[in-house]
Amino acid sequence: MMMSPDKQTLKRAMDGDGAAFGEVVDICYDSIFRFAMKYTGVRQDAEDVAQLACIKLAQAIRSYRFEAAFSTWLYTLVLNCAHDWYRQQNRHRSDDVEIEHLASPQDSEGESQIYLRQVLAQVEAMGDGFRDTLVLVAGEGMNHAEAAALLGVKESTVSWRLHEIRKKLASAQRQEGLQ
Amino acid sequence: MTDDDLKTLLDDSDNNAPSEAARARAKAAAMAAFAAAGENDQIKSPDTQGNVTTLRPTADNNPSVRRRMMNAINQRWVVSGVASAAVLVMTVSVLMNVSDPVVDTDLAPGREMTLGAASGLEEVIVTARRKQEAKEFSRDQSAGALRQEEYPAAQMAESDLAMADSVAPASPPTERQTFAAVASNESRAPGKVLSAPVPADVVLPGYYQDEGRDQFETIVPNPVKLVAEVPVSTFSVDVDTASYSFVRRQLNQGVLPQKDAVRVEEMINYFDYDYPLPESRETPFKATVAVTDAPWKAGNKLVHIGIRGFDIAPGEAPASNLVFLLDVSGSMNSPDKLPLVKQSMGLLLTQLKPTDTVAIVAYAGAAGTVLEPTQAREKQKILVALERLNAGGSTAGGEGIKLAYQLAKAGFNKSAVNRVILATDGDFNVGITDQEELKGFVERQREEGIYLSVLGFGQGNYQDDLMQVLAQNGNGVAAYIDTLSEAQKVLVDEATSTLFPIARDVKIQMEFNPQTVKEYRLLGYETRALKREDFNNDKVDAGDIGAGHRVTAIYEITPVGSASGLIEPSRYSQAEAPAAGQGSEYGFLKIRYKLPNESTSKLITTPVAVKDSALVENKVLERETGFAIAVAGFAQLLRGGQYTGDWSYQDVIDLANKNKGDDLYGYRAEFVQLVRKASVAHDMK
Repeated sequence: MMMSPDKQTLKRAMDGDGAAFGEVVDICYDSIFRFAMKYTGVRQDAEDVAQLACIKLAQAIRSYRFEAAFSTWLYTLVLNCAHDWYRQQNRHRSDDVEIEHLASPQDSEGESQIYLRQVLAQVEAMGDGFRDTLVLVAGEGMNHAEAAALLGVKESTVSWRLHEIRKKLASAQRQEGLQ
Repeated sequence: MTDDDLKTLLDDSDNNAPSEAARARAKAAAMAAFAAAGENDQIKSPDTQGNVTTLRPTADNNPSVRRRMMNAINQRWVVSGVASAAVLVMTVSVLMNVSDPVVDTDLAPGREMTLGAASGLEEVIVTARRKQEAKEFSRDQSAGALRQEEYPAAQMAESDLAMADSVAPASPPTERQTFAAVASNESRAPGKVLSAPVPADVVLPGYYQDEGRDQFETIVPNPVKLVAEVPVSTFSVDVDTASYSFVRRQLNQGVLPQKDAVRVEEMINYFDYDYPLPESRETPFKATVAVTDAPWKAGNKLVHIGIRGFDIAPGEAPASNLVFLLDVSGSMNSPDKLPLVKQSMGLLLTQLKPTDTVAIVAYAGAAGTVLEPTQAREKQKILVALERLNAGGSTAGGEGIKLAYQLAKAGFNKSAVNRVILATDGDFNVGITDQEELKGFVERQREEGIYLSVLGFGQGNYQDDLMQVLAQNGNGVAAYIDTLSEAQKVLVDEATSTLFPIARDVKIQMEFNPQTVKEYRLLGYETRALKREDFNNDKVDAGDIGAGHRVTAIYEITPVGSASGLIEPSRYSQAEAPAAGQGSEYGFLKIRYKLPNESTSKLITTPVAVKDSALVENKVLERETGFAIAVAGFAQLLRGGQYTGDWSYQDVIDLANKNKGDDLYGYRAEFVQLVRKASVAHDMK
């Protein structure tokens, strides 16, 4: 779950108080990073995304309107950053950039991390929005309605995407079993 | 993989704490941006809530971001299409420094895949090189000047070297395959289509159409069995016809159907054979046995069992309490699905008596009652309710079934036929999706007297296996509706058989005589096999026969003394000489059935005589048998022709043409056309 700063700090940061903004970053960075970690599956990429998100936060915080919960707003922002980052980084997702990720376990990471990356690559290949849906629901524990509101799609679309993901991963597993 | 596994996997990721260095970097960059943003505050538009696209550190507002250069490099990658294509293109554009976008886009995805696999070595080299460049640029780009300081030249070279090392040896075939799979999937993903070249003459369908994801239960054809070892064969009848219409649809599109889609017994049972009717109403059906030569193997014989149930005269039909359970999920949104469902249900309405009741439940993301139980005389009301339905959303099939049964129970009429009719493409994805659970639910409802019939629609993602399970356990028929004329056949011409059962749990047991028969093989009925002991156990469920249904089963036998058998005699164990005295019979046929409202079964028996004269005496039966055998042969050919020798599609056509008979509805003529199409599709392969 995204951490939210208290309202006073937020207001002061929005008014241009640098120290208050620093506090906001301190509070939020952890959850931004963890989210990015789930989204990318690669530490270095997650750090890049998190940093990009912090920069965007700096530029956008003054336009936060208190209409949506801060955490929801922040999710949208981080997701947008992640999308932008991927677009710039490798236009062909899951090409050899990820071969490298798959092939060379980075230091001090577990097997589950490698596996996560494989899953993410497969899910990403299914089309736009699938990775977002998976990470928000399975990773951040949102229910379908919350994820749908955040992604700006219908709740049934979220359910459908998750179903497709399940099906796809199950069939991938079956194929692996056959080989 | 279950949801829990996924969740655990993602949760595990939480163990990765952010590094302090990265945090400090991010904060410093953010603080700088914050200060900069403060200066630009006045030019900011007020409606950028949650949307910071305009505020990104782009080349326009931040000269340290080398975006233009990045774009220049990226351009070549953009045109190169799918993943492995990129590898090839990079071979050209990086190593030889030639970039020609026209050439790149001309590559077809399929070809790229094979080439990509062939150029393994280059791939490794290019991978490493390209990687190196990509990383450098990404670092420059995303971190700007700050990151640059963190990566002195020496360290960078070192890490790139390590990267190249780790890539070069670490390309074992498995990883590559996984990757090829991902890449090929990617080329199919809708979002990626844009970057792939689309020939001008391809017309994209206006609706989403899955392909090649039809699911069928795997069938292993019944093997040849030695009578001395397994003299008894037991199975349940099957009156479904779904397989034939599905196969027809595929063949009409010029493709051979997948083998598991071809169920021999369903192909045979699609046609109305003119078997003798039962003499009296006491026995609901009559079995006629005929023995003839196997056309595909000299020396072998075919034992043909034809069963015909009595037909209910139109005035005598019992009342019906029907609940239409209609799938209106997004996947039904195609011309051959929901619109056809509506038409089909409209057709069925014409067959109902004015006092019969109809209710409609629709399900998509959630299930809802569209129409409370309504008498069929209010036809307009029912049609209007049908017309209102639109397709969209996910598929809470499980919930829909529950609601439908509740409605059926609400209108339960003890003297009527209470039936839920499910129309779907079978893709249940919300709620109860587990086959076993659905099966159990349908089974329990069957005990209470509510039956389930399944009408399948659509193709590409047709879940035949689930439909079969539901219909078999719901005492119903599974039919596949591909066209309006098929709907007409199932719901109008054969409405009585579809709606009114005359016998339940019909089981067939054939015991062969080892004196006269050496080997035997049952054609089809693989999914309906029963254990020998289940025959007399009334608790074991089996297929049902509706009013007027015809069921055909064919055994191929090798008589003793014929050289056409497949199984060699054993060298070591001497077969015991069979008891003498019954040399005039090939075997003994037993059929068990229950009347619809009874729970104890009745038995019908018939010996199968060696000197069978039924076909000589009865020309009609000879014709019907001949046609059934032609269909059986065709089905076997479609399944690969394991036991049919050199028998060809042309032989099927000849045999079928000879035995077409009156063919009032033209189904048999259509069959001959289908065989021709299969023959063409087969030759093209």
